[in-house]
Amino acid sequence: MSAHVADAEPVHWLKRFWESGPYEWNRALTKPQVLFSLLIVASAVPFVLQYVEDNSAWTGAEFWIRILTTCAMYACLAVALNLVVGYAGLLNLGFIAFFAIGSYAYALVASDQLHHHLPLWSALVTVVAVTLGFALLVGIPSLRLRGDYLAIVTLAFGLIIREITIDLDRPPVLAGHQFGPSDFNLTGGTAGIHMVDPLQLPPWVPLIHGAALQSRTYYWIFLGFLAISVFCLLRWRGARTGRAWVAIREDELAARAMGVNTFKYRLLAFCTSAVMAGIVGLIDAAYIHNAFPGSFDIQGTVLVFIMVVLGGLGSIPGSIVGATLVTILPFVLQQLVLYKYVVFSIVLIVLMIFRPQGLLGIVSIRPRAAMGGTVELLTAESAIEASELPAVTDRDAADLESASGAIVAPEPKP
Amino acid sequence: MSDGTPVLQIRGLTCHFGGLTAVDRFDVDVNQGEIVSLVGPNGAGKTTVFNLISGILKPIAGSVQLLGRELVRQPAHRITHHGIARTFQNIRVFPQLTVRENILLGTHHWTRSGMLGSVTFWPGTLRAERAAQAEVLTAIDLFRERLEARLDDPAFSLSYANRRRTEIARALAARPKLLLLDEPAAGMNPYERIEMAGLIRSMRDRGLTIFLIEHHMPLVMEISDRVVVMDHGAKIAEGLPKEVRSNPRVVEAYLGRRAASA
Amino acid sequence: MDYFLQNFPQQLVNGLEAGSLYALIALGYTLVYGILEMLNFAHGDVFMVGGFLGAGVAVLFVHNGVASIPPALIVALMVLAAMGGSGLLGVGIERIAYRPLRNANRLAPLITAIGVSLLLESVVQVQISPAPVLVPSNSLTPQIVFQVGNIATPFMGATLFVAAILLMVGLDLFVFRTRFGSAMRATAQDREAATFMGIDVDRVIVVTFLIGSALAGVGGILFGLRFSTVNFFMGYLLGIKAFTAAVIGGIGNLRGAMVGGLLLGVLESMGGGFISSQYQDTFAFLALILVLLVRPQGLFGQPLTDRA
Repeated sequence: MSAHVADAEPVHWLKRFWESGPYEWNRALTKPQVLFSLLIVASAVPFVLQYVEDNSAWTGAEFWIRILTTCAMYACLAVALNLVVGYAGLLNLGFIAFFAIGSYAYALVASDQLHHHLPLWSALVTVVAVTLGFALLVGIPSLRLRGDYLAIVTLAFGLIIREITIDLDRPPVLAGHQFGPSDFNLTGGTAGIHMVDPLQLPPWVPLIHGAALQSRTYYWIFLGFLAISVFCLLRWRGARTGRAWVAIREDELAARAMGVNTFKYRLLAFCTSAVMAGIVGLIDAAYIHNAFPGSFDIQGTVLVFIMVVLGGLGSIPGSIVGATLVTILPFVLQQLVLYKYVVFSIVLIVLMIFRPQGLLGIVSIRPRAAMGGTVELLTAESAIEASELPAVTDRDAADLESASGAIVAPEPKP
Repeated sequence: MSDGTPVLQIRGLTCHFGGLTAVDRFDVDVNQGEIVSLVGPNGAGKTTVFNLISGILKPIAGSVQLLGRELVRQPAHRITHHGIARTFQNIRVFPQLTVRENILLGTHHWTRSGMLGSVTFWPGTLRAERAAQAEVLTAIDLFRERLEARLDDPAFSLSYANRRRTEIARALAARPKLLLLDEPAAGMNPYERIEMAGLIRSMRDRGLTIFLIEHHMPLVMEISDRVVVMDHGAKIAEGLPKEVRSNPRVVEAYLGRRAASA
Repeated sequence: MDYFLQNFPQQLVNGLEAGSLYALIALGYTLVYGILEMLNFAHGDVFMVGGFLGAGVAVLFVHNGVASIPPALIVALMVLAAMGGSGLLGVGIERIAYRPLRNANRLAPLITAIGVSLLLESVVQVQISPAPVLVPSNSLTPQIVFQVGNIATPFMGATLFVAAILLMVGLDLFVFRTRFGSAMRATAQDREAATFMGIDVDRVIVVTFLIGSALAGVGGILFGLRFSTVNFFMGYLLGIKAFTAAVIGGIGNLRGAMVGGLLLGVLESMGGGFISSQYQDTFAFLALILVLLVRPQGLFGQPLTDRA
């Protein structure tokens, strides 16, 4: 920023930090040193809780570790959603479906359902491939069109895939023909798939090394994936890919004019986000030993949306904060649990109206009147409209005058 | 000055909107090193021509060739890659990106840096990113004092003139062969206009070919090698600034028949 | 083949019945999209609330044993409650949740809309009933079945179809033959220019939401009477299908929504009857994908200009 004149009275650094606004907060919070320290602290929490439990009458360690594990899982999902909505500005309303697809894909290759028990890496590759396949199926038709269409398609997709999953506990019967043997049961129907294998991690992974997998192991696994996600997102944001994404979100037409293949980058954002959600699904299926159709419910998507919006669109620290708040608050305020969705949907609506940038957000939702009214243009007609808008001054009259002056004035006589 | 080889050749460019003919069999050549101005009353179709060239609109007939390569069937982002960069009449910088990031977007089409390379610290990717960062400084070279201090500020916080400069720097960062400037001096006071004129000339002196739309006649007269006049979608005059200025058809287009015959 | 020919007419009738319901709901989506260019995700839930309002009235009367009141009157009251309540709900949603965001960028009202949708669903789920609620249509509507050859349709089925068609014709006349209707069309074409012409755009928007939501409410109660049940989740699936219908017809186009709805209903019915009843809902999704791949502007929409 521009140089400051020396202050007459030194301002406390905390005050200055507070006043610098979300832009600076994000910059500070995403510094590698800060993130790394936070990771260490977060990893240490189970030990701290265990220590407290061992040395006092309190017995809530296991309970709270489970909550923190859920929290870490949602943080991963929130970060993944932030990529597609916060960076690229795409509305994936079927987001949670990809989480569920990942769950089921892992369950199918690591349980007795199909009698496969793949080791970790093969399972991971399978899950990524399956999730990617669905993402392409949904994304390719819709990402060439305006954002509203993507919203409808993903919303519909989320619902349909849930129905199909529930119906696949018997062989499909199409036009009177049965496809598959009568004992065909792919997905376990409404009950889902049980007894999913836990993750078999290689011995060199820190903290976990083959020990009995308890809750806190999965806490660390989610935390690890969160760290990887955050790392990737920050690296992308600081390079060509992330800039292209934000440009597409800000002004799609100008992005194209600058040589960005908007379809390709939208697809990249959409698919990456979907695959990340799928991997989180994989870990979750191993954690709870189950894959079940409730994972597909739309409440899941809306919940993650609330986390991202509350934390702040476009802000990675914000997503983590949002996830933490939304996961933990219902436990802290017991009465909330029943009315969870009611309260949170009200929170979402109020946020969008009064403070759409949430806590740490840096994406502008408000009209950019100051920019001369840049308009998102996806049709040629509106391109014409907007381009023929007069520039921001009232120079038309003055120009006509000078134009006439320039054109009609006779050549000066020597 | 110009060495005469055409950089941009447009023949018979035509575009309709519903029943309206926005551009009607438009022809023009812009040669290497020239500054050619496209002028005409409001609604004449000038920006439509730019939109057709840059691929945002598709013509129903005609051809646009850049150094012999046909552009008409190409998507907009490929056209930029082939060597055309533009600015917009109502400035379209990316508000939430910093000035630096805006200019870096100009480098997008020639930078080889992808997702995988970024997360694996691939040397080729790191090199490409460094090259793009270096280009930013080159791009703001002509008005360094103006923008250098503001490089890490978000674009929405800039003044109008600085946003215009950012947009031009962004276009320059694309290393274009042809630069399309849509009303670069709009909204500027006389001092800024003089600066803009100098800027345009400097860009030409560095080897760029420039095709610009402008309403401010004195500026047009001063810097253009040639002037092309449009009205109601068609070209009505072309030539040296002096010739065009006193062309009766041009006067009529701007001021009406009475003024022309007066 | 015989099977096909034998059952085709019945499936057609079923399809038209379902389709008329989709069309009724699709109208609300398309009206709002035409004027505000926003997808009102909460619309399906307005349909659901309408169904519950009507059901509430029914339960009130039937369980209080007021046997002397003619059922027709009760049904009329139900419809009124559904229409009025939904209409007001729609207007309220617009006023509170969408109006402040009218000039914000595209994402904002969409995110808010899914918030409103979840709010409606969860309020009904928690406050009224998580399980489906029975609508006593047995006591309120004639339990006769019309039979022509081997095509059968229950009374409420035919009523649903006829009522929907009448309402759509009425709406069409309103939008294309009245002064206010042309104000609506003008606002849909160019909101700013409409204000210059002296049109009260706010009023047009309010009326649009009122009409669209009232129609959805009527759909809700007709659904409830036809299937004797309402549940808090019914707006979701039907909403998506109505959306699909609106997109197929060309989102923003009124007649497109009507045709799209009927078409989707028939398509689904054919698919469900002849290919697979289990995967019936998938056909709607496939239709959506197909339309977006081949003709994204829908049947009656303006061609979206080629985005290179």
